[in-house]
Amino acid sequence: MTRLFPPYSTAERIFYGVVSFVVVIAAWEAAVQSGVLARSLLSQPSRIWAVALVDSGSGVLWRHMWVSFQEFWIGFAVSLVIGIPLGLAIGWLPKVDHSFSGLLAGLNATPNVALIPLIVFIWGLGLESKVVVVFLSAFFAVMVTTYTGVRAVARRHLDITRSFGGSGWLAFRTVALPSSVPFMISGTRIGAGRALVGVVSAEILAANAGLGFYISASATFLDTARAMLGIILFGAIGLVMGELIRMVEKRFSAWRPDIH
Amino acid sequence: MGELALSARGVQMEYRERQTTDRLLAIENIDLDVEEGSFVSLLGPSGCGKSTFLKIVNGLLLATAGQITVRSTGKGRENAMVFQDAALFPWYSVLDNVAYGLVCGGVSRREARKRAAPYIDLVGLGGFSDKYPYQLSGGMQQRANLARALTVDPPILLMDEPFASLDAQTRELMQAELLRIWNATRKTVVFVTHQIDEAVYLSDRVVVMAARPGRIVADVKIELPRPRELDVKRTPEFAGYEERIWSLIQQPRPAGAATA
Repeated sequence: MTRLFPPYSTAERIFYGVVSFVVVIAAWEAAVQSGVLARSLLSQPSRIWAVALVDSGSGVLWRHMWVSFQEFWIGFAVSLVIGIPLGLAIGWLPKVDHSFSGLLAGLNATPNVALIPLIVFIWGLGLESKVVVVFLSAFFAVMVTTYTGVRAVARRHLDITRSFGGSGWLAFRTVALPSSVPFMISGTRIGAGRALVGVVSAEILAANAGLGFYISASATFLDTARAMLGIILFGAIGLVMGELIRMVEKRFSAWRPDIH
Repeated sequence: MGELALSARGVQMEYRERQTTDRLLAIENIDLDVEEGSFVSLLGPSGCGKSTFLKIVNGLLLATAGQITVRSTGKGRENAMVFQDAALFPWYSVLDNVAYGLVCGGVSRREARKRAAPYIDLVGLGGFSDKYPYQLSGGMQQRANLARALTVDPPILLMDEPFASLDAQTRELMQAELLRIWNATRKTVVFVTHQIDEAVYLSDRVVVMAARPGRIVADVKIELPRPRELDVKRTPEFAGYEERIWSLIQQPRPAGAATA
């Protein structure tokens, strides 16, 4: 595995990330202070910070975040629990492939947002409807990527099991499963992003709690500082999740030296 | 004459091309007897069906006609394959890769590891059990590949151009190593190669094949004394064998041998 770029240490990565972050914040603040950017449009970092202190102090922010957090993790976990095994089954067993792939392709082609009104009608404004939306948002990415992984198993690797007289089940466990792990992790990462999008869209469209609701309610009252705070928090959550998945990726791919 | 380890009669392999439905004769009517404990090479240009024949013997492919009789020992597998590219699982350590053949035969992983260990030493990989394939050189990967086949302790070893992707120096070294290991284990070996010197150096018999359709054109007994050191390659006898086989390969195709 040749490296086109020298590997950066974690410390270096964090350093450059923080520097660019600070520069953007400072430029933003300066632009508003000097009047280049209207305060009413994007608010300003110092006000967002002040609002963050108020709302976290009163517990409002935590309550909304806790709601979003639950919606996200329940929906996302269910999408993994169903998506990965189903992707494996469809990829490995032709009969299951034939039975499900048409149905799933059709459902996948439907934009999830189109389903939200119906889902809210069925499951109401609370936790359940959001969980369903999050599940649907993440599920296909997880399943399709896992499926792709199983289909991409190297023929020569499967031949080894056959050559030594191993069963199909053994080939699945010892060849198809480990060789699709990188795909499952990609699916998990893509799925996590989609799940987050699902949380935001469902909460903005129809909810009475959650960070997305916090954003849309604030914006309704022209409270751009709070709306921006919600947006920034979503961004931060996305970043943390990405980092978590990167750690998982490292843990499961000892045999792939090209991942760092 | 010792007992026959393997006897092939009228083996034929025909492919149907998907688009044109033309029939392609990969192997036409191969008769081959291999004596127990002997080292026989199948030598020929690419497309002569030598690897296909090996895969038929191994059971990876089913011949369209003919019959292969293998003297059964009544225990374990009758043959094991050493693959062309180091077909090791990147997600397994050397030890688990070498033990894998036994696992395919239903041996528990723990027991398989125990039985694999001495073969890792035999092929000269002692101390590398815990390494992953990407940490090994091409030659070392092929040693592991060979150890995996030896571990299932088959009477017949099938080797499919195992040194084709190695550099010239490593290749020579591996040829000498193979003879040392063959000497220690006394397996019947069917070795596929397109290198004349490799075939002459290793074998008791070199079976020369031609392409379109794949068939046997000559069977040359190599009567160089054993054990053979690498410098036997610089003797006039060796050169004589090389020349004779070269001229056999150069022979014009008999009339009517073109594909149907």
